[in-house]
This record gives sequence, C-alpha cells and structure tokens, in this order.
Amino acid sequence: MREFMDGAEAITRGALAAGCNFFAGYPITPATPILLRMLRELPKIGGVGIQGEDEIASIGMCIGAAMTGAKAMTATSGPGLSLYSENIGLGIMGEVPLVIVDVMRLGPATGGATTVAQGDVQFLRWGTSGGFPVIALCPTNAAECYALTQRAFNFAERFRTPVFIATDKEMISAQQSVETSTFENIPIADRARAPAEGEFVPYRVKRLADTPLFSPIGGAHLVRFTTSMHGERGILTKKPSNVNKTSRHLYEKIEAHRAEFELVAFDAPERAPTVVVSYGITARSMIEAARDARAAGKKVSTLTVHSLWPVPARALRDALRGATRVVVPELNFGQYRLEIERIALALDPRPQVIGVNRVDGELITPGEIEEQIL
Amino acid sequence: MGRQGETIEPVERMDGHELAETSPHHPMDRLLRRDRLPHIWCPGCGLGTALNCFLGAVIQSKLDVDQIAIVSGIGCSGRVAGYVAMDSFHTTHGRAIPFATGLKLANPKLKVVVFSGDGDLIAIGGNHFIHAARRNMDLTVICVNNFIYGMTGGQLAPTTPTEARTSTSPYGNRDHPFNLAYLAAASGAAYVARWTTLHVRRLQRAIGEALQKPGFSFVEVISPCPTLYGRWNKQKTGLEQMAFYKEHSVIQHGADPRQADIGLTGQIVVGKFVDVEKPSYLELQRR
Repeated sequence: MREFMDGAEAITRGALAAGCNFFAGYPITPATPILLRMLRELPKIGGVGIQGEDEIASIGMCIGAAMTGAKAMTATSGPGLSLYSENIGLGIMGEVPLVIVDVMRLGPATGGATTVAQGDVQFLRWGTSGGFPVIALCPTNAAECYALTQRAFNFAERFRTPVFIATDKEMISAQQSVETSTFENIPIADRARAPAEGEFVPYRVKRLADTPLFSPIGGAHLVRFTTSMHGERGILTKKPSNVNKTSRHLYEKIEAHRAEFELVAFDAPERAPTVVVSYGITARSMIEAARDARAAGKKVSTLTVHSLWPVPARALRDALRGATRVVVPELNFGQYRLEIERIALALDPRPQVIGVNRVDGELITPGEIEEQIL
Repeated sequence: MGRQGETIEPVERMDGHELAETSPHHPMDRLLRRDRLPHIWCPGCGLGTALNCFLGAVIQSKLDVDQIAIVSGIGCSGRVAGYVAMDSFHTTHGRAIPFATGLKLANPKLKVVVFSGDGDLIAIGGNHFIHAARRNMDLTVICVNNFIYGMTGGQLAPTTPTEARTSTSPYGNRDHPFNLAYLAAASGAAYVARWTTLHVRRLQRAIGEALQKPGFSFVEVISPCPTLYGRWNKQKTGLEQMAFYKEHSVIQHGADPRQADIGLTGQIVVGKFVDVEKPSYLELQRR
C-alpha cells in the first residue's frame, strides 16, 4: 500500500513492531512528533507513555522501565541530548537496553529549532564521559526509519546498551510517499535472561565480550544495578583488576562485534575513481547526484552509511580501495569526514578526501555534490 | 525463587575492612546484605537509625520483600540501596525519582521506595521531586535530611539553615533553606511526615504508613551529621545533636507545614502534616 508518511511515523511504527512498550520524552522541536505518536499509540497495546518534566527525567524513566524488562525508547534533539548525557553514561555503565532517537537540528545550544543539520554525529559518539563505544544507526528514508528502528531495539537488547537513531529535522517532519508493503520486518531479539533457578550475579560474564544475563527488578532474583564502577555483583569497586575488567568488558562487548554493525549500501555498478560517502538526509542528495553524474557519462560509486558508530571500517576500506577521490557531503563542518580520512590514510594509493559541507540550515543539493564528481 | 536460602558470598571490599561479625539471630538479617557490613557511615550518623526504622516498617507492613525496589542517588544516604537485601538501583546524582517512576510505571506491582539525602533529592534532583509529588506518583520517598552534603565534604545544601557554617559557606550561609515538608505538601504529596532519628518508633510508624499510602508519600528524617554539620555548628557529637533534637522537637500532628521551618536554633516541628485522599497517578492511568 502506498502511504504518505513522515519519518516520525515510520520510527514509531518500527518501534512498536520491535516490541517497544515504554516511552518517555520531553517536548522539543523537531522530535516532538515522535513523542505525540508514542503517547497516543502505546496505551492501545498496554504500554506506557509519559511526558517527563525535563529530558533528564525522561531518559531516567526509560532506564528505570528498561530494568524491569520493558523495551524503552525516547526521542529528543541537540539541547535534550545534551541533558541526556550523564544518563547515557548510566546506560553504558549499568548495561541498560535503550533506544534514543536524536532528531538533529542546527546547534549549538538552542540553535535553530526548525533548521536541519547533521551536527551531532561526533556528539553521539563522544557525548558522555569516559569515551566508551556506542552504537548509532542512521536511516535515509521512511522505510529505513522503520527497519533501522527495529534493528536499534535488537542491538539494544542484545548488547544491553543505549543505541542511537541519528535522524534530522527533514527526515522526521517531511512527508514522503512510501510503499509500506515493502517495509522490512526484522525478527525481534530479546535480551538473554538468567534462568529463574540458581545463583544470579548481575554483571557476571564468561568472556569480556559477552553481555551479562538479565534479571528484572521485581523478578526471581535479588538484583542490583548501578551507575558506578562496579564488580560483577554490582557493588562499587576501586580495585584496579576489577575496574579494568569492567572497563574492558564495556569496550569489548561492542568492539568485538563490529562486524555485526556494518550496515552500509554500496552502489558501484563499475569500478569508479570517485566514491561519494554520505548518510541520512544528505545521502539522498548523493544518490541523485550519482544518477545525474552517471547519465552525464561520469564514473562514480556511492556508499550510504547506515551504521555511523561503530564506524563500518571494513566496508569503508573495501569501498574506498582503488579510488582516487572520496567525496563526503554532510550538514556540518566535516565530522564524519574525519573517520573517512582515517580509513583513507591506511590505503595505498591514498585517495584524496573532499568535504561538501553546509551549516546554513539548507540541504546540500545534488548539484553541489555532482560538481565534485570529476 | 526464595531469597532466604540464597548464600551470599563475601565480596571484596573497597576499604579493606574485615567483614563484620553479625549475630545469626538479628531480626533485620534477612533484609540486609550481611556481606556488605559494616556500613561506611560515621559514628553518630543517623543513617543507620533511619535504615533500621525503614526495615522495621517493612517487616511490620508484611509487604512482599521480593516486590520492593529501592532506588537511591548519590551520597551517604545513597549507600542504603547497597545494604538492603532487596532489588536495588544505584543511580546518577539527583535522578533517583525518575528511575523509580520508570520502574513503577513499567511494573506497577512493585513497591518502589526512594531512599536518599537532602542534597541529592532537593538540590540537583529538586525538579524531579516537585513533579513526582505534583503527579501524585505512586512512590515512597524517604529523605534523610542532615542539612549538609556529607560524602563530598560538608558543602552547603538547600536545607542548610541560614547562617550555618559549611565548607562552602565559611562565613555562614546566606541562603534561605527549603522547608521540605512544606515543599512536598505544596507540590501535592498525599502523605507528608517529619521525624528525627530520636523518634524511632514514630518514624517507623510513619514509614509504615507511607508504604501503605497510594500516591506520593514523603517522610523527612532529620538526622545528625556530627562529622560535618555538627562539628561546624556547635553540636560536636551525634549525642549532642540528638540532645538538641530532644530539647527542640515539638510534636504537632496536622501542623501547617508552612509554620514548620527549621532554623539553626529554635524548634523542630515534627509529626504527620499531610495525609489526604487524592487520586494517584496510577489510579488516573487506570481510569
């Protein structure tokens, strides 16, 4: 069926399809449409939606709900994400499954509430203290909003960590004509639970890269969850060997599974000297630019990055190998270009990396990208 | 399923203390994590008394201990969550109430108790406190008010009486303090009581009532901090602070909480100030 739909609706539908049953959020343009939809839809399926008194409360409520076993989501924009920061850290440290939608608007601070940008890309990666790895997915259209939201929940469950969906004002609020019958339904993953019998140790893992078994607050076992550096029993620790183990575990449980997060779309009909790499709303201009360039007889490949963090390094290396020119359009000063440059540095021949950047609240046009395809 | 039969192995302690010798017959044993004792609180601190009253109230209430969740923030009071043999969540500074709200909404069968201090709940967490009270959210909040930040070194709290000395008010406090009972009542709490750690039986009874109360119930526990607050404000020991409570406490049930300010000197009005019937958040959600 063909429907007229914005990204907010596609994300909401994807969340419900993934089993989301708790949402808390605070009104903020341009993320509010997700709040409105979730608060309307969740009671119909026996879920809970609540408007917090601020962003700090909203993410806190989600984390509390998640630790009873709920699948929780929240949505915000840059200013709210700033306020989420500490509790994103709790989500990492306490191993809390949680999905956070960031609808990017022009920053810093209050910035431009109704103005599109992609300025939070590195903020998502480094936005809480400690520098531990995070997962961030990035859809380019409504169908991907639907599918990647489900994947975000599955990753959150499997790795018990906050997972971001990086979107932007245009993606969320622009209505698109979409064929919903082709929407992809991903098999639902649930966090691994501890058996009801036997001893339960809340943060015990066999290997550092494992995710601990879950037992809910109010469930069969005595549980203790904490935001502080802890040993496997969730008790505060300063003992270097324990601290090291927990730190390494929080790192390894994401980094050792990087292959699972390599979500990209590589469009390379033939070997091309120029590769354009982009993501989100800007990837749509890139795809149009490539189509126009090819029609004009130019050779170009495109790589759409659907998993911004961890960086899909293998897919990027494969796509960039042999290219002489890499064009990276994005709505910021070149945040993801930094990552592409890191990859390019290790390649021989080393391709030149060129940014196409706008920070004026306007989208990058296909023409601006095509100019860089030689 | 039962927790009573569960063996708790001794765990490494960060402070290197030996594990406490505890009587196998102590009435609170089944509610405490014996492997975590002795606690870190200073001699003369009121937190142990407050915890004891809470556990006494839990036993008396006949609540299913497996269905109680304790949420705490940061600070000396935040350690309570680590000592009780109940499901517990040790959260970021000031945010215990939002986490507790999420727990309660996602699993309404839980009895969710927030056990924290005045700095955590009322300064950094003040916004959550007033809004949870306004919503009449189904939570019991126990606030141990020692008028100061203990764990971080005796800084000014939003409860510190005017002119009191703290490490960040070396020339005396120029702020006016919050009157927590009045704040809770004005924000919409269904149950508000205040006792000192001297009034152990009344405090235990109040916590018991709070645990049974639908909606937002609030118990303020006035508690000594001789190490910091007392030492700098002419009450050098816990005993002196308790003697101060004995001399200055005035029991006035039903008193107007507006009239129950606490100063550096002067009386401490204690009692049950608010106990009203009003639809709780969950009741309104069910309608």
